[in-house]
Amino acid sequence: MAEEPLDPVIHATARLRVTATLAALGEGDEMSFPKLQRLLGMTAGNLSTHLRKLEDAGYVRVTKTHEGRTPATYLALTPRGRVAFEEYTQAVTTLLKGARP
Amino acid sequence: MSAPDRPDDVGPLDPAASLRVIHETQERARAASEPDARLLFAIWGVAWLGGYLALWASARATGALSTGPAYAAFGVAILAAVVVTAVHSIRRTAGTRGLSARQGATYGWSWFLGFVAQAAIVGGLASAGAPPEVVALAANGIACVVVGLMYLAGAIAFDDRGLLVIGVWILVVAAGATLAGVPGTFLLMALAGGGGFLLMAAVEHAALHRRRRAATLAGLAGHAGSGRG
Repeated sequence: MAEEPLDPVIHATARLRVTATLAALGEGDEMSFPKLQRLLGMTAGNLSTHLRKLEDAGYVRVTKTHEGRTPATYLALTPRGRVAFEEYTQAVTTLLKGARP
Repeated sequence: MSAPDRPDDVGPLDPAASLRVIHETQERARAASEPDARLLFAIWGVAWLGGYLALWASARATGALSTGPAYAAFGVAILAAVVVTAVHSIRRTAGTRGLSARQGATYGWSWFLGFVAQAAIVGGLASAGAPPEVVALAANGIACVVVGLMYLAGAIAFDDRGLLVIGVWILVVAAGATLAGVPGTFLLMALAGGGGFLLMAAVEHAALHRRRRAATLAGLAGHAGSGRG
């Protein structure tokens, strides 16, 4: 059967984990960069790289702000990112079912 | 500046591995950003059970109202539960902002204001000359009404069935405990109120286990959607 290829933006362990974490938040909720980093156990540089790819694809919204005098960065899935994650989850679920006898 | 992709970041994922990653990651994300209902129900169950049993035992022993030491024990139990609840909720939700955080903050403040009003009403009744027994009954009954209505507000705000059940139950306890009179009111608060919280802790625990098992069985993760637990 002709399978559509899985979304390459999400289909990489690190970005899948970033996307899944942000998708676990309610719509309209954001997570701070340090909390996301701590949850995923990634280096700041590595996480930034993947976030940039997700942002470039329009899946993640990056908000830079200040808390008092400290700069803070918050991340959230965009509606498009949420849809992409749902479609990806659906696609791998279908693949897994198809792989079974 | 930024590190290149590590090999395991871009390595091929088979569908089962993908679903496992999604499931584990989301489980971890929820555990790190939402308060644990089991812990909160359990701590309040223990506080009510212990605190109100102390008041009941002391009221029964003296044949009238509870003694100072019994009220002190009750106060310590409730204060400990308040502190655990506040610290746990604030730590879990730290590092997130948005709609849920605003709802959570409003919810937390509503609890606090409800009990400030309860204390003022009880104080007002006492200074207006209400007999000690009436004051004790009003304190219990009004506290229960605040708790029951706050749980119902939580059920609406967070679309949570567990909160709906316990909210209705605590309102029933409010009525029953006031009709029971002293000292029966304290026993009812301990067993029906505190026992109700402990039962909810057990129910939430069982539900979490069931969800986890179902997710593991259904192709390792099933469809791990983005809904809240």
